[in-house]
Amino acid sequence: MSYTLIGRLESRLAALALPFAAALVLAAALAEWWPVGLAAAMLAAVVALDLVYHPVLRYQPGWAALPLGLLELGVVMAVVLALGVRAPLAVALALFAAAWLCAQVLGHALLPLWRLSYAEDGGELGRRGGALAAAAVAAPLAAAGGLWYAHLPPVVHLAAGVHQGPLVITRRERLVGEPGAVVRGGIVVAHKNVEISHVTVVGGVNGITVDGMRGVVLDHVTVLHPQEDGIHVRGEAITISHCTVDMTGVPYGQGIDISYNMDTGETMVDRCTVVGGQEGIVTHSSSAMLMHNRVERTTMRGISMTEMSMGGVMHNTVLHAKGIGILCGDHSTCMIDRNDVAGTTVDRASEDRERAGYGLVVEFGAVGDLGRNDLTDNPLTMGVFVGSLVHWQR
Amino acid sequence: MERVALVGGGLAGFVAYLTVLRSGVPPDEIALFAPEADPAAAWRRRAAAIRQTHMRSESDGHCLPATWPGLAVREARRRRSLAPLARSVCDRYHATVPDFLEHVEELRVSSGWSPRAARIERVTPVDGGFSLEGHGEFRHVLLATGHPGLAVPEELRGDARAVHSYEPHEYRESVCVVGAGLAAATEWLNALEAGSTVISVRRREPVRRPLAVPRPYLTRRGLAAFHRSSPERRALELRELLLPSYPPGREWDEPLARAGGRFRVEERVNGADQVICATGFLRGVGHDPLLRRLVDEQGLETVDGRLVLAPDATVPVLTDSTRTLAVAGVAAQMAYPAADTLGGARYVAHRFVRRCRTR
Repeated sequence: MSYTLIGRLESRLAALALPFAAALVLAAALAEWWPVGLAAAMLAAVVALDLVYHPVLRYQPGWAALPLGLLELGVVMAVVLALGVRAPLAVALALFAAAWLCAQVLGHALLPLWRLSYAEDGGELGRRGGALAAAAVAAPLAAAGGLWYAHLPPVVHLAAGVHQGPLVITRRERLVGEPGAVVRGGIVVAHKNVEISHVTVVGGVNGITVDGMRGVVLDHVTVLHPQEDGIHVRGEAITISHCTVDMTGVPYGQGIDISYNMDTGETMVDRCTVVGGQEGIVTHSSSAMLMHNRVERTTMRGISMTEMSMGGVMHNTVLHAKGIGILCGDHSTCMIDRNDVAGTTVDRASEDRERAGYGLVVEFGAVGDLGRNDLTDNPLTMGVFVGSLVHWQR
Repeated sequence: MERVALVGGGLAGFVAYLTVLRSGVPPDEIALFAPEADPAAAWRRRAAAIRQTHMRSESDGHCLPATWPGLAVREARRRRSLAPLARSVCDRYHATVPDFLEHVEELRVSSGWSPRAARIERVTPVDGGFSLEGHGEFRHVLLATGHPGLAVPEELRGDARAVHSYEPHEYRESVCVVGAGLAAATEWLNALEAGSTVISVRRREPVRRPLAVPRPYLTRRGLAAFHRSSPERRALELRELLLPSYPPGREWDEPLARAGGRFRVEERVNGADQVICATGFLRGVGHDPLLRRLVDEQGLETVDGRLVLAPDATVPVLTDSTRTLAVAGVAAQMAYPAADTLGGARYVAHRFVRRCRTR
C-alpha cells in the first residue's frame, strides 16, 4: 500500500481504537493508571514513527509490517521506560501484540471491506471514517484524562504562620505549604497517597511519621529538631525529595529512618540535606535508593544501609561523620558509587574497631558493589569486616 | 429515466456491475449492454493466444468490489495452506489463469449478470441523463468499451507471415517477435519451448517492473500529483509510464539464457518464417466508434488521442449533480494510469458508484 500521510494516521488511529478501549477497561478493572499510560505511550511512539515513515516509504509491502512492528515495539518500550510507566512486561507486550494484530486485520481485511476505495485512497477513511477513528482514540484518552482529573486528591494549602500539631492526615490529599507555613509538633500521615510539599515541621516526637501508608510523597519538606527521627518511615515504600532535616541537638535520633519495607517496593530519597543526629539516613530491612543527598556531622554514621537492606547509595556527600561515613552492614546488599566522604572522625569513646574513622565500612555478611567513591580525606578509607564481600565495578 | 447503465460487458464492466450491486443498487435498476454474455470472453481469448498461465497482477487481480478477500484467500482456503497468503503479503502471489477464470464464472453466475446483447454506438446527453441509442435514457452511465482493436505495425500489414500475439497461432521454425512488453516476453518463452529460433525485434530495451504501472500510481499518494498536472503533462507522463514492460525474475531470464543461439535481438524484421506482433492494442479514442462519435459530437477535449477526464474518470462537461458519464478501462487512463487493469476497473467503479447512490 502507498499510504498518504492522512491515510497512515487514520488507519493507525482506527487500529489503536480497540487496544485503547481494552487498556481503559483494564485500568478500570485494576484501578491502576499504567494501562492508560501504556496506551498513551504507544500512541505517541507509533504516531511519531508514522511521520518518519511517510517520506521514507512511498510503497509499503505487506511483509514490512513485521520488521516495522518490531521497530515500533522497541520504540514503544523505550518511551514506556522514559516516561516511567510501570507496566508489567507481559501485559505491555500482549497489548502491543494485540494492537499490531488489530492493525493487520483491519488494514488487510476489514477496512477494505468497509470502505471499498480504502487501498486506492492510500488508507484514508473519508471524512466520517477519519473523524470516527480519531474519536475512537480520543474518547478513551479523554475519559481517562477526566477520570484522572476527577481522582486528583484535594489540595490543602497551609497558610503562612505556625500551626499547632501534631497534624494527622487521615485522607488522601496534597498538603501544600505557602511560604512560611510551619507545623509545630510533627505530622503523622495516616492515609495512603498523601503528598506533602513546602511545609516546615518543627519538633514533635518524629518530624514526619509515615507508618504503613503507600504512595506517600514528601517534597521540599523541612524538619527541624524533632525529639527522635526527622522523617520516620515504616512498612511502606515512599518518595522523599528535596528535603532538609536539621537534627542538631538531637543526639539519638535519625535524620531519615526507613525500616521494614522490603516487600513493598523501593523508597527513594533524593537531594535531601541532613545535619546532625545519630545517623543521617538509615535503612533497616528495606529496599531503597539514596541519591544526591548531603549528610553532615552525625554522631554515629552518615548513611547506613543495614539489616538485610538492598539498594543503592550513590552521588551522596557525607561530611564530618563520627566513626563511619557510609555503612553497608548486616547482610545487606549495597551498590555504592560516586559518593564523596570526607572529614570522618575517629570515635574515641568506642572500642569498636569499625569506628576508627572509616570513609566506608562493609560488615557482617554484607555485600558491597563498589564504584568510584572519593574516600581519601578520612583517617581510614575503607574497612571490610566479619565475612563481608566487596565487588569492584570496573 | 432509468438509474444506471453499464455499456460494455468486458471485465471492466463486470467489476463495475459487481461494485454497483454491492453498493445496494437493485439489479433491476442496472442496465447492462454487451455483445457477449461472458465478461471474460475477450480476455480469455487473448490469454489463450499467448498461452498465459498466471496473472501479472498480484493479490487484488480479481473482479470483486473489495480488495479483500481476493484469490489468495480463496486458494488458501481451498488448499488449506497459508502459502498463498504468505506470497500475497510479499507481493509474490499471482493467481493462475484457470483460477481467475473460474472465479469470474462463479461471480457471473452468482451475481445474476445477464447483459442485453447490444452494441451501443451512440450516447447522447439529454436533460438529467443520457440516451443510449434507442435503448432508453439513464441517469448514470459508465462506458467500458475495452480495447479498440489490435495494433499491427504499418509495415507488417498484409504480410502473410504476420500474426498478432493475441490471435490464435502456433510456432514455426524461426519466429520473429516484435515488441518488448509482457506479451512479447511470453511469446519468446513459448516459442523457445516449442523448439523455435526466436528473434526479438524491439525499438528499446524492455523495462523490467513487477506491475505495468509503478505502485505509487495505484493510490491517491502518487495520483495526487498526476491529477494536479495539465492534460498535456498527464499525456506525456502516461507515455513514460506505459512503456512496454515485463516483470523481473529468473522464470523470465533463465529460459533466454539457456536458449543460447536460439534467441537473439535484431533491429528489424527479416527472413523469419513467422512474425508475431506483440505490439498490444490500438491506442486512442479515435479507434473506438462509440467514443469517437461522442468526442466529435460533444466537442470533448482529447490530448494525444486520450480523452481528458476528471480524477474520478467522469467526463467533465457531461457530468453534473444530476447525471454521470464515466469511462472505464483503457480509455480512463487520463484519470488512472493503470485503468486497463482489474485494479483500475475497481478504481473507476468505486468512484462511479458514489455518484450512482444519488437517485
